[in-house]
Amino acid sequence: METREIFRAFPFLMQAAFYVVAMLAIAVFLYGFWQRIAKYRKGSAAQRFDKLGARILRASRLMTTNATVWKRDSYAGLAHLLIFWGFVVLFIGTTIIAIDHDVLRFFGVHTLKGTFYLWFSLSMDVFGVLFIVGLVMMVVRRGGLRPAQLDYARSDRPGQVVDRSGFTRDDQIFLWLLFLVAVTGFLLEGLRISADRPSFEVWSPVGWAVANLLDAVGLRSSAHSLHAYTWWIHAVMVLGFIGYIPYSKAMHMLVDFANLVFQDDMAAKRLPRVSEEKMKVGAGYAAITDFSWKELLDLDACTKCGRCHVACPANASGGPLSPRDLILDLRTYADASIGRPEWLGQSFGDGANWPGDKVAGISVPGDVIRPETLWACTTCMACVETCPVGIEHVTSIVQMRRHLVEEGEMEDSLQDALANIGDYGNSFGQSERARARWTRELDFQIKDARKEEVEFLWFVGDYASYDPRGQELSRSVARVLHALSVDFGLLYEGEKNAGNDVRRVGEEGLYEMLAEDNIATLEKARFREIITTDPHSYNTIRNEYPEFGGQYSIRHYTALLADWIEEGRVPIARKLNVKATYHDPCYLGRYNDGVAPPRRILEALGVDFHEMARCGKNSFCCGAGGGRIWMDDSGLEERPSEIRIREALEIEGVEVFVVACPKDYAMYTDAVKTSGNEGRIVVKDIIQLVEEALQPTV
Amino acid sequence: MHIVVPIKLVPDLAEELEVDASGTALDTEWLRYRTNEFDDHALEEALQLREVSGGTVTAIALDAEEADKSLYTAAAKGADRLIKITGAGEKPSSHATARAFADAIAGLDADLVLTGVQAVDDRDGQNAVLIGRYMDIPHVSVVTGVSIQGDTALVHKEYAGGAMGEFEVTLPAVLGIQAARETPRYAPVGKVRRAMRSATIEELASSGTAEAGSSVTRMFRPEKGQGAKMLTGSADAIADQLITIMRDNGVNL
Repeated sequence: METREIFRAFPFLMQAAFYVVAMLAIAVFLYGFWQRIAKYRKGSAAQRFDKLGARILRASRLMTTNATVWKRDSYAGLAHLLIFWGFVVLFIGTTIIAIDHDVLRFFGVHTLKGTFYLWFSLSMDVFGVLFIVGLVMMVVRRGGLRPAQLDYARSDRPGQVVDRSGFTRDDQIFLWLLFLVAVTGFLLEGLRISADRPSFEVWSPVGWAVANLLDAVGLRSSAHSLHAYTWWIHAVMVLGFIGYIPYSKAMHMLVDFANLVFQDDMAAKRLPRVSEEKMKVGAGYAAITDFSWKELLDLDACTKCGRCHVACPANASGGPLSPRDLILDLRTYADASIGRPEWLGQSFGDGANWPGDKVAGISVPGDVIRPETLWACTTCMACVETCPVGIEHVTSIVQMRRHLVEEGEMEDSLQDALANIGDYGNSFGQSERARARWTRELDFQIKDARKEEVEFLWFVGDYASYDPRGQELSRSVARVLHALSVDFGLLYEGEKNAGNDVRRVGEEGLYEMLAEDNIATLEKARFREIITTDPHSYNTIRNEYPEFGGQYSIRHYTALLADWIEEGRVPIARKLNVKATYHDPCYLGRYNDGVAPPRRILEALGVDFHEMARCGKNSFCCGAGGGRIWMDDSGLEERPSEIRIREALEIEGVEVFVVACPKDYAMYTDAVKTSGNEGRIVVKDIIQLVEEALQPTV
Repeated sequence: MHIVVPIKLVPDLAEELEVDASGTALDTEWLRYRTNEFDDHALEEALQLREVSGGTVTAIALDAEEADKSLYTAAAKGADRLIKITGAGEKPSSHATARAFADAIAGLDADLVLTGVQAVDDRDGQNAVLIGRYMDIPHVSVVTGVSIQGDTALVHKEYAGGAMGEFEVTLPAVLGIQAARETPRYAPVGKVRRAMRSATIEELASSGTAEAGSSVTRMFRPEKGQGAKMLTGSADAIADQLITIMRDNGVNL
C-alpha cells in the first residue's frame, strides 16, 4: 500500500513529546498573535468592514497572483511568487497530514494512501523545489544584487545614530529558517526512502534523488538512525517557525492579507473627514492611540521592501522623509508604547531624542516623527501606489499634519499662504475680484456661469488664475475652446481655491470652508459638466466634494480634448514635428487614472513621442503638491523638478517637455532654468501644442 | 499681569482703493477691513509675554465691520478676554480711536498695553502714542523686544540707521510694537470656529468724548512728478546749483 508512516518507528514517548512541543509552539504563536490584536484594538475606529465579500475577493486575487509584488519588479515578483506558492502548498500538505493523522484516524479513516498519496508526494516535491528556488533567488538578491531599496541606511536623520542591525537579522533569520526547513524536509524524505526503499516513492522524485545520493556516499546503513535526528531537527525548526511568526517579519504573511482586505481604494485620493466631535477638540493625530486600528495594522504590514523609499520624491531630493522609515519609526514606537517591544528592531542613539515607550506627554508628530519630516511630503501618492501591501502612508501623514496645523507648527511662508487663502480665496494674496482678470486680454467675452446657463463650467484654479505663466495657459485654453465653439463659462470671482492642497497641508477647517463656499457657488450656477485645467482641483472636486454635498460630473480638459479630436471636432491644421516627452501630473495620472488622454492628444498632433523611464502611474512628482509649493525648497540637494528634467534629457534629442498642469508649468520652467538646461528643452502645456496645431502655418 | 491689546481694523490693501465722490475719503463700497498687521505682532508679543510671566491677555477693538472676526481670531490664538467698544462712530479719526481705547482701557486695570507701532490709516499720530497721552502713562514706540521685571518693563526700541535703545519703563505703560519676537501665529479655521462658539465678546459703550484731530481736505492718488533733474559737475558746483534751486523755490537759507 502506497503511504507513509508519520512517526516512523517512533516510541510513544517521543510521539507524545512532539505533541507537547507542538502545543507549546502554537501557544507561543497565539500569545504573540493576541498581543498584536490587542495593540490594534487600542487604535481609534475606522470603517473598513463595508463590502467585506468584495474586499476579501480582491485581497485574495492580489495575494494569489502576487500582482502587487510583481509590479515593476519581476525578479522580486517571481521569487516571492515561488516562495508564496511553495509555502502555501507545503502548508496545505502538512495540514492534510495533520487532519489524516490526528483527526480522521480516530474515526478509522485513512485517506493519505494509494494514488492520492502518490500525487500528494509529487506535489510536495515539486513545490518544495520551487520554494527553494524562490528562497535562493532572494538570498542572491539580498546578498549579491543588493538593490538600493534594501539599504536601511537613514537619510532622513542626518547625524543621528539609528542601529537597524536588528532589521537585517530579522530578514536573514526569516529567509534562512525557511530555507533550512525546506532543505531538512528533503533530507528527511531522502533518509526515509534510503532506509526503506518503497518502490512507489519514485513519486517523490527529489526525495528519491536525495536517497540515491545518500546511498552513493555510503550513508544507507545509518539512514535509519540519522532519520530520527533529522526528523527532530526539522520538527523543531518548523514548530519554532510557527512560534516565531508573530514576533517577526514572518507576521507579514497574516497581517498583509488583512491589510489588503481592509485597504481603502480611495486612500489619499479622498482624505478622511474630521468628525464634528473631533473638530471641537482639534483635528489630527497627536497620541499613538489616535491612529485607527487600520493605520496601526499598516505599520505591522510593512515588510521593509523599500519600494516607497526609492519612489519618494522627498527622499530622492535629499529631503528629511522616507515613507518606509516613517512607517518603521511609527511601528517601533507603537510596539514599545502600546504593544510588545520589537524583538528584532531598531534602536536610537541619544541624539535622536527618541521617546522610547513613553505615552504620557508624547505627541507623535513632533516627538516620534519630526515636523520637518511631515512637511517634506508632497502627497504625490507614489508610496501608496507602489506599496505591495496596501499601506496608506499619505493619510497618516496628513492626520499628523492636522495636529501640527492645530498647534500652529509650520513655516512662515505656508502660514502666509493659508492666511491668504482664508482671506482672499487664493494663495497669492490678491483680491478675489482679480481672479478672472486674465480674461481681459482675450478678444471675446467668457460667459459668467452664475448668470447664464453653460454646457461646461470651467473651474480654473489658483495657479491658472493668478500666476502670470498660468494665465497665459488659461488664455490658450479659452482661445481653443472658443475656436471650437464650446459653450463654456466661469464662476469668475465666485471661484475660490478648491482646497485640494489646503486639505493635504492639514488645514481641515479651512478646507471645509473652501469646499462649502465653492459648492454653494456651484449650486447657484447652471451647467452640465465641470471641466478643469487643474489636476489638483480636479481631484478634490471629483473625489472629496461629494462628501460635502457637491456631486458633479467633472473632467480634466485633456479627457475632453482627446475625445473631441477623435470625433473630428478639432480642426488640426498641421502635424507637429517635435520630439517630446510627457510628464504625468500626480493628481491626474496616479490619483485619477488620467494617463491615456494626454497621450492620445499627443499622438493625434503627430508628436514624436517618447516616454520617460518613470511614466503614467509611476510618474515622478514635480515637488509642488501637498502644499510644498508654499514651502521653502532651498534645503534640498536637488529639487524633484530638476531630477525630472534630468530624466527627460536622457531621451536623446528630446525638445519639448509636455505638461498638463499649471503648477507643473511653473515648476518645470523654473527647473529648466535652475538646472542650467535653458535652450536644451522647452516646457509646454499640452494646450499650447493643441493651439499650435490649430494654426495652418507657423 | 494683565496685558491689553487694542486692535485696529484697517482697509485691506489687497483691494484696489478708490477715492469716493466727496474727494476726502476712500470709497467704502469695495473696501474690506482686516486686522492691522502690526496689531497682530502686538497680540503675538502679548501672548509670548503671558507664556513667560503668566497673566491674562485682553483683545479690544472698536465696533466695526470684521471686528467680531478679528476678536474671535485673537481668541483662537489664545487671547483670554474679548472686548468690543461700541458707539465710537462710523469712521473715527486717529484721535477719536485712541480716546475710545484709552477710556475703555482705563477701566480694565491693565499693567501693559501693547498695540501696533503704526497702521496704514494712521493719520495724525499713532495709536500707541495717543493712548499713552490720553491715559497719561509712559509710552515707547517702535518696540522690538519686551521683558517684564517686577513693576517695570525692559524695552528695546529700534532707531533709524540700525541703532537700538534700551528703556526701563514703569508699568502700566503703552508700547507700540514694531515686531513680535516670533512671527505672529496662525489661527487655524477650526480654532476660530471653536472660538466663535465658545468665546464671548463683551461690549463696552464708548464715552464719546472724541477730541478734534485733523480733517481731510482732499484725498487723491499720488500725482506724477516732473521727473528728476540731474545735477552734474564737481561737488562745489553741485552745491552752488542746489543752493540756487532752493532759493528760487522759496527756501529761506
